[in-house]
This record gives sequence, C-alpha cells and structure tokens, in this order.
Amino acid sequence: MIWAAFASEWTKLRRPTLFFSTFLGLAAAASLFVILLFSQARAAGGIVTLHQLAQPDGLVVGVVRAATLLGVVAFGIAAAQVASEYSLGTLRQLLVRQPRRAVLLAGKMLGVITFLLLALCFAAVVALLVAVAAAHGRGVPTSAWFTGTGFADLFRELGDLAIATIGYSVLGMALGQFVRSAVFAVIIGFAWLLAVENILMRIVPGTHYWLPGASILAVASGGAEGVNYGRGLLVGAVYVVVAIAAATAVFVRSDVTA
Amino acid sequence: MVMEQEAARVSELPGGPLAVSTAGLTKRFGDRTVVDDVALAIPAGSVCGFVGPNGAGKTTTIRMLLGLVRPTAGSGTILGGSLAEPATYLPKVGALIESPAFYPQLSGRENLKALARLGRLPLTAVDPVLERSGLLARAGDRYRSYSLGMKQRLGIAAAMLGGPELLILDEPNNGLDPAGIVEMRGLIKSFADDGITVLVSSHLIAEIEQICDFIVMIRAGRLVHQGSVAELRASQQAEFVIAPEHDADRDQLAGLLRQAGYAVTRGQAEEALFVEAPGVGAADLNRFAARNGITVRQLAERTRSLERAFFALTGTTSADVLDGQEMGAIR
Repeated sequence: MIWAAFASEWTKLRRPTLFFSTFLGLAAAASLFVILLFSQARAAGGIVTLHQLAQPDGLVVGVVRAATLLGVVAFGIAAAQVASEYSLGTLRQLLVRQPRRAVLLAGKMLGVITFLLLALCFAAVVALLVAVAAAHGRGVPTSAWFTGTGFADLFRELGDLAIATIGYSVLGMALGQFVRSAVFAVIIGFAWLLAVENILMRIVPGTHYWLPGASILAVASGGAEGVNYGRGLLVGAVYVVVAIAAATAVFVRSDVTA
Repeated sequence: MVMEQEAARVSELPGGPLAVSTAGLTKRFGDRTVVDDVALAIPAGSVCGFVGPNGAGKTTTIRMLLGLVRPTAGSGTILGGSLAEPATYLPKVGALIESPAFYPQLSGRENLKALARLGRLPLTAVDPVLERSGLLARAGDRYRSYSLGMKQRLGIAAAMLGGPELLILDEPNNGLDPAGIVEMRGLIKSFADDGITVLVSSHLIAEIEQICDFIVMIRAGRLVHQGSVAELRASQQAEFVIAPEHDADRDQLAGLLRQAGYAVTRGQAEEALFVEAPGVGAADLNRFAARNGITVRQLAERTRSLERAFFALTGTTSADVLDGQEMGAIR
C-alpha cells in the first residue's frame, strides 16, 4: 500500500516543471559553489588553498560547501509538496482513494525523499564534472582525487549529504503538514534555517548543540565547529523521528476541510 | 449502544437494502454544531438528492461519509462497512467533493493515473472513464487549461475510477453551462441505470427533482425530511390558480376565500391567486366564486413543486434561503 502511495506521488513529482527546475536548480547551485571555490582558491590563505583542493577530498569539497543551500532548497521543495495538497484541495481526492492516512503520508514522504535524493545525486555528478574542469583551469592536480582514499572521501561525504537531505526533507514535510500553506511553510523554513538559528546561536551560548538546522548541517559537513558529526547525527535523528511522529499524529487525527 | 440500536433500526427499514445509513450523526466545531443527530437511510440503487440551504451541513455530512471529517458522535454503515473504518468501504465509493481539485500542471490523464496508482487500480481504467465523461479528446492537455465544465467532468471521471457502487457528487452542476447541465443529468441517469447508488447534493432543487427518486432535506444541521420524491409529491396538498374575470374582483375573492378558511397568496403576475384548498375540487371553487357573484376567468389545479415542498418542510421562505437569488436555487 505504501508502494501505491509512493508511485502516485512520483506521478506528480515527475511533472516537467518541478522535475527540471529541481534537478537543474540543485545542479546549478552546487556547480556555482564549486566554481566560486576554485576561482577564489589561493596558494595560501583565503577560504581554501589550492593545496587543499588537491587533497583526496578536493573533488567533493565544493559540493559539501553548498550543503546549506542544497538543504534549504530541499526543505522548501519538501514543504511545498505536502502543503500544496491542502491549498490545491487535492488531499481530499487522495484520502478518498487511500483512507489509511499514515500509509498515504509514508508513501508521500518516501516519494519526496527519493525525488530529492535523486536530484542531489544529479547535482553532485554535475558539480563533480565542473570540479574536474575547474581544477584543470586552475592547474590543481587531481591525481589524489581518483585514488582509493579519494573515492572513499567522495562516497562518505556524499552519503553525509544524502543523510542531511533526508533530514531537511522530513523537517520540511512536517512543517508543510503543520502550516498547510506552501508559501508560509517555505518562508518559515527559510527564515529559521538561514536567520533565526544563526541569531540564536550568537545570543544564547550552547544552543548550537540542540538546534535542528545546525545539527543537520554538521552531518552534511562531516562535523562542524562546535557540533561534531556524532552529536549532529544523534540530535538530527531525534528531530527527524519527532517530526515524523508529530506529522503523522496531526495528519491522522485532523479533519480535512480544505 | 443506543446509537448501534438506532443504526440497526434504520438498516431494517422496509424497501430493500440501504447503501448509506447513519444514526445520531453529529459534528461540532468548537461550540458550533454543524450536523446534529442526522439519521440517513438511503436505499441502494437510488439517485438521492441532498438539499438544504447554505450552511445546512451538507458538505460536512458528505465529508463525514467519506472519512475526511471525524464525527463528534453517531455511527453508520456505508455499503456494509462501518463509518468508523472508511477503508472498509471507500474502495467502492467515488466522490466529487465541492469543486474538483487536481494538479494544475499535470494533464487530465496524468491526474487520473496518479489517483489510479494510489487506489491500486489498473491504468487501463483511466481512458474508459475519460471517454464516458467526454474528456478523452482533451485528456492529454494540462488541467490548468481546462474550462470550468471540463474540470467538473474530470472530477466525475475521477469519481468513476474503479467502478464504484456509490457515487457521492457534491454540486456536480457547478460551472456547467445549460448544455453541460443536460449532459450531467444524462450521465447521472446512466449511473443509476448501471445500478450505482448516487448521492447528489445540489442547490438547484428543480434539477434534483428531475434526476432524483429519493430526497434528503436538511436545515441547520438537522434532517427535516427523507423519502422518495414520488411520496413527497403525493403528500403535498394540491393548489389552485384562480383568476377572476375582472381584476377589481380579485381582492374581494381573496377575502372571501380567506373567510372560508383557505390559504391564499398572490401570484407573481398579481392577476391570479394561489389557493390551498384541501379536500376541495376546482368545481367547488368555481361554484364558490359564482355564488358570491364573481365570474372566474382562469381556474387550474397544479401540483406543488419540490421546491415549495422544501420551503414548507423547512419552514423557510424563498427569501430566507435564496438571499436574492433566483427561485429554485438554494445553497
């Protein structure tokens, strides 16, 4: 039954406007970060050095730096996919066809998550190709990238990005479920992730340990300043589980009047 | 327990099996009671009109039947499944709820495929319902390019997916031009011919009168009448239209008839009087007028319309419910 809801969700997700804008948008964002990183790299100092880019993880470092942007975009798309069912009124059609609401929500979440993971994979492939071209352009040696260590770094860091994308997607869908408005959900999500958390971290010491955006970003980055990878993974997982439970409880119990 | 007993009593009503039966169905939003103790008993195979003024609770009732809104109290059975477990009967139900709602950027066909996949129906079920609703030629176009009438037809097509035993159509004529309304009438009749029970809510009582053989009337959340349309018509007192030869006699005739105990109202054209005279024939009224020295130019008996029956049963006037709209349209 979840498979039916998943397949139905994918019928909607693969509409050309959403499909191409998401895939090309994420690819463009990741590629832009790679180009900026390679163009700004110096022999010493700056945000990154040419020597650092020549390391085994140099291939993927640009994509990882784009984690916040990729996460925010994933969050927004996920929130909009759930909330728009209310604003369009399509939810009532779906619930007549699949009255088991938890099943419908699970299929929908799986559909959106796989969609965003595929978009992330596409973006990563494009960004990696851009990185190879940019490396040649800046004269950065790439031999270390294509070693066993390089590939291990590549897959580990892309795996972390994928886990973070799942986290952002789930939080986005949960928020979309609560506010039931695509625009409102995206605005709240963006404001929280890009502004509110940063302000909180600056004015309230120690909050970075417990904030959802900071925790998930730590996972995406393989560990961040103040929040190590393990703690980020644990706190992020708690937020994801709570978000799924709360969204399911609200969805199952609420009246659908839209 | 009381609810269960009442549900059982409704299900045992004579006249064959019931497609929909409820007992004590109630919905409150905060302090506001929107649906109050409604006991529906809709026969299987009927085309049932569901009418009531604006805010009467029709859509909330329909949403409860479809599992979209949780009843505050009450129980029910739909196609043999418990109202408390919509998953047991909804696979056999098709519904168009209020305005049709689909994904604007998908084609009509893709929208139906999404629903078919969700309901685990074969995708081959899509084109036949598009054809039946007259949309096959435009099925590949994006939904957002559809006219209001086409959107309504796609809603009907979606409701038909999977061959339902019960169709619940909320205001299916919305947005349709006169030709579309005639088509919709034919479509609904064809559903009945196929043995499908149809519950159709509409603000057009005249339309309901043409297509339905069973009617449910609610007002302010409470059931005021349900039964066959034929029985309702038969239960209504005959009414006479009477016009004196000379207009100057009209007021005198009205006064005399009132003195005799008949209810008299003026016709819209004002030259005629409408007289409710139970147990009296046209000849009696003619004699009555002649005895009082008034010659009658026009005298005819007419059956009261469903619309007037509605007003009589709900204790409303057209002004109460129409809010300035044309006669025959209530919401």
